[in-house]
Amino acid sequence: MRDRLIGWSIHLASVAIGVTAFLYPFFAPALPQESFGMAHAEDAPLLLTVLVGVCFAALLVEAQRQAGSAKLVALLGVLVSLNALLRFVEVAVPGPGGFSPIFFLIVMTGYVMGGSFGFLMGALTLLVSALITAGVGPWLPYQMITAGWIGLSAPACRPLVRMLGGEGTWREVVVLALFSGIWGMVFGAIMNLWFWPYAVGPQEQHWQPGLHWTGGVLRYAAFYLATSLVWDAMRLAGNFVLTLAFGLPTLRVLRRFQQRFLFVYRPSEQVSV
Amino acid sequence: MIIFRNVSYTYPGAARPVLRHLDFSLPEASFTLVVGRSGTGKSTMLRCVNGLVPHFSGGTFAGRIAVAGLDPLVAAPRGISRHVGFVFQNPEAQFVVDRVEDEIAFALESAAMPRQEMRVRVEEVLDLLDLAALRERKLETLSGGERQRVAIAAALAFRPRVLVLDEPTSQLDPQSAEDVFNALVRLNHDLGLTVLLAEHRLERVLPYADHIIALSDASDGQANYVYGPTREVLPELALVPPLVALAKALNWQPLPLTTKEGLRFSQPLVAHIPPSVPKASRQRGEPCLALRRVTVRYADRPVLRAVNLEVARGELVVLMGRNGSGKTTLLKTLVGLVRPQTGQVWVDGREVTGEDVASICRRVGYLPQEADALLYADTARQELSITLRNHALPAADDVIARHLERLGVAAYAERYPRDLSVGERQRVALGAVTVVQPVALLLDEPTRGLDYAAKEALGALLRAWRDAGMAILLVTHDVEFAARTADRVVLLSQGEVIAEGSPAEVMGSSPLFAPQMARLFPGRGWLTVEESLRGLGVASA
Amino acid sequence: MIHPVAWLIWLGAVLVVLTTTRNPLYLAVMLAVLAAVLTRLRRVHAEETPRVPLSPLHFALIVLPLTALFNALTVHVGRTVLLRLPVTWPLVGGPITLEALTFGALNGLALVGIYTAFVVLGYAVTVRALVGLIPRAFFPVAVMTSIALTFVPVTLRHWQAIREAQAIRGHRVRGLRDHLPLFLPLLIGGLEHAFQLAEAMTARGFAAAAETPSTRRARVVVASGLLTLLAGWLLQLGWGERALGGALMLLGGGEVIGALWYLGRQVPRITYRHTPWRARDLAIALAAGVTAAAFLVPWPGLERHSIFFYPYPALRLPEVSAWLLLALTGLEVPLVLMPAARRLTIAPRMSAGDHAAPHAPEDDRRECSRTVAERGDLTESRGMATPRPLETATAPIETGERL
Repeated sequence: MRDRLIGWSIHLASVAIGVTAFLYPFFAPALPQESFGMAHAEDAPLLLTVLVGVCFAALLVEAQRQAGSAKLVALLGVLVSLNALLRFVEVAVPGPGGFSPIFFLIVMTGYVMGGSFGFLMGALTLLVSALITAGVGPWLPYQMITAGWIGLSAPACRPLVRMLGGEGTWREVVVLALFSGIWGMVFGAIMNLWFWPYAVGPQEQHWQPGLHWTGGVLRYAAFYLATSLVWDAMRLAGNFVLTLAFGLPTLRVLRRFQQRFLFVYRPSEQVSV
Repeated sequence: MIIFRNVSYTYPGAARPVLRHLDFSLPEASFTLVVGRSGTGKSTMLRCVNGLVPHFSGGTFAGRIAVAGLDPLVAAPRGISRHVGFVFQNPEAQFVVDRVEDEIAFALESAAMPRQEMRVRVEEVLDLLDLAALRERKLETLSGGERQRVAIAAALAFRPRVLVLDEPTSQLDPQSAEDVFNALVRLNHDLGLTVLLAEHRLERVLPYADHIIALSDASDGQANYVYGPTREVLPELALVPPLVALAKALNWQPLPLTTKEGLRFSQPLVAHIPPSVPKASRQRGEPCLALRRVTVRYADRPVLRAVNLEVARGELVVLMGRNGSGKTTLLKTLVGLVRPQTGQVWVDGREVTGEDVASICRRVGYLPQEADALLYADTARQELSITLRNHALPAADDVIARHLERLGVAAYAERYPRDLSVGERQRVALGAVTVVQPVALLLDEPTRGLDYAAKEALGALLRAWRDAGMAILLVTHDVEFAARTADRVVLLSQGEVIAEGSPAEVMGSSPLFAPQMARLFPGRGWLTVEESLRGLGVASA
Repeated sequence: MIHPVAWLIWLGAVLVVLTTTRNPLYLAVMLAVLAAVLTRLRRVHAEETPRVPLSPLHFALIVLPLTALFNALTVHVGRTVLLRLPVTWPLVGGPITLEALTFGALNGLALVGIYTAFVVLGYAVTVRALVGLIPRAFFPVAVMTSIALTFVPVTLRHWQAIREAQAIRGHRVRGLRDHLPLFLPLLIGGLEHAFQLAEAMTARGFAAAAETPSTRRARVVVASGLLTLLAGWLLQLGWGERALGGALMLLGGGEVIGALWYLGRQVPRITYRHTPWRARDLAIALAAGVTAAAFLVPWPGLERHSIFFYPYPALRLPEVSAWLLLALTGLEVPLVLMPAARRLTIAPRMSAGDHAAPHAPEDDRRECSRTVAERGDLTESRGMATPRPLETATAPIETGERL
């Protein structure tokens, strides 16, 4: 009970900090300019990076606590390698727009094996694929935490699936397809935000009469339309179609192995001497 | 060193125990061989020694085990790991880090051993397994045998007193397997390491083993094992290497375990029989598979050089040769997976050079080395119907059922193929490539990982198909299997055919490819136990 | 080889400079420094170029026009009007000014700098060394990452085998669903491999760290730290309580980091490979620290205000502080201390009969012999038969390799 409470508060607090961090550029212009003066405006990207980093570290510790058995460590290592290679395929042969096959397995494993597993799967897939394609960049922490969230949130589909008729039906796959489709879109929108403060520059230039936080949102919308909408729509469609096409058989395979990997030995029940 | 006291174990959900009333104690510095058909619980028994069973698998465990004074059940695999090194079957799936040295140090790192001590340990095992020259190599660049030696080194990093190996050479070619065995013998002889080894390749390890544990499918309630000194247990086993089989048939005492020991008995027997000329290879029918002056290059390195090869209908040809001699490439060229730079490929009277793989494989079945890569469906039956659908053929239930029957796996039609034993999985894979009734069949290392019984059954199946008119080309390192099954043997070296003829002609004289019988009776052209008994004028039992 | 941590500190200082200043002169100097370091590193690692998906130049060609245009189209401030778009057009309508265009380009320049800095990191620090930097608190994550990297070649080979195996049974890829027979065996094979690997790891003594009362307490501290951090930030953002909020944020962040540090100490682990921290690493780190401090803290007499450059309302020349220019040169220290381009021809061939990799990169082999030299007494008699390269005497043990 207490364990779960701690777990929940870590997750909720980090999600709240993360969301605030991602929205920060929007209400940054509305902030009062006081004691610290201008200096703070420019530190925003640094501050955000540090905050995202702290959240990420807390989530990581929490996730690895639950997925820390030798079996799950091995499974995560092997599946991350597999998934990272799928991304590698995407980098080598640019697919349609922002479509990337990596989200599929992140959602599936998170949904079947649990949120912590999904979180690690998401975060590490992005890390490892960046390492093998030399794609380490300032966006990496953001990608890792966002992809981690995708996996972390996947078990949220379970109640909906249960309501709609349960496991193994086509409804389950549709729910998951919608879920990963939406995340495909959101992932793109969030990914833009790391870039956004640089695209806009320090806040000084907004600080004009009449420019409110809504102005920020409007500008972001324009920016988003111009740079990523098509891209993200492709990702949405790609995730959706991929999950529909591969969902059922993949779920069957994962469930088949699920028990073997989640098994925990308890001496008292197993041994009769 | 290792004591089992009335140990029984049942897998979760299984109807009956896989281990029953095991009771023995293995002395320190012994070399014990665990034998038995697949499915008799060899792996399970080994995993009991370090507690992986039941800590990893669950199930019901009864009895007591003591290893180096510890109870694996209580100490758990982690506690046992300091005393028992464990090496697994698959040389690919046991590494965490990708460099030799770092991989050996991995276990020491997580045990927080002081760095200076760690270096001593790593140097030690590098020398023990003769890996010093490979220390900085990446694992992916190593051969299978080298990788298994790294796995042994990693298992020995804690200086355990017991080394347990679960079929460590089943995925290796004979030369690599030899390297691994030599390393084991050295460890056992020089260091007094207690070795417990499960192995199918008895002919190579028997001379070194001082005890055998033979597991079997005994009926319920009874113990399903025999334990004793090698020479006492061997006569009780049904499936043994040819030398032992012959010695049993001729009642040689004490039982010879090496060719050298066997020659003492065999030489007097054939003193009066003059060496005979091997019989000429039999007349061949019309060619079904043919390569005509085929040359294949990978990045300017020639792999096949102007190779000519024919396989007739109703003929079973075995292709042998060292690793990297181009055997697998030759098979792949026949089905179009590799396109030849020059030359022609003919299948069933038609040139197919350059045709796509799917259409060639409509008439040629090909069982690749990693047959598991074929299987992904939920049941064996579905595997077969997938192939039929791929070729746009009707997936009629009775066709599939009959084919599964022919392969002897009808009982597993509804089972998940990946849960079956190696031999059964291979049958299903074979079914998946032959359900289209091909005119020819290619097999790449089909005996790898099979026990004697499964090999025997595979040989019988292939001979039956050959007699029904199929052209079969088979690549193998397994000389005994080749000697028993081949109509013709082709030797490949550096991409060229260097010898071709009847098994007796090719294998009878070559020291490298000679089966045990040819070594015992050189120049007589006898390759199998049956041939030898017939040649000696003894009625086969 | 420069210590990876020294490179990380250097990278941190570069990021501080690039995110705080928009002064074109400072940006230009910073980019020049980065270019020099990158060129030098490229020469040093000429034979083992990492696959960079996009060269910094390409990145600049894409990003600079994008940021410049976007800013010009959405910010209608400035006196030098280039053209006017109809005011009725939402967002983009109004005067398009040279000032906004310039400012957008400057933002883009900072971004190009950041990208280049990471490319430099990719050259300077090997993948294995990066994995080695994962803190001890994340030991399981480090193991997972290591496994993932180790399994890349295995998975690729497996993938190839599956493609062939499926082609053999008449499989053709026509549509999306035809990828399923390729993907499923890969997944199943991966799951099977993972289970075998888990057994192997367990047999070698790997186990999850046990939950103890003290690690449980550390989790509580992490949770409360995050909540404090959040509360502080919300106070800052929502209620304008800068000082109080800032203090709470520091407190919360400190709690989290302290708890992680504590958890890391609970993981008993000593690494086998060890890169010593030497004088030149210290020099690089100190110089980078001075640069970062100069750009972050308003020291008296440093004219820090010159880092802010706003072209509005009318474009003018930027102010420059000689001290800050001097501070920027602190980031050039790696250039001075970096070992000269390696003379690869020195590394001798393996003696005959020694079957070390004929295809292992020269560099690897030189590292082997260095390792031997370093371990002196242990290995003298049994080590490699290779004569030592000239540099061996002074060279340290080096870690990792390039992927």
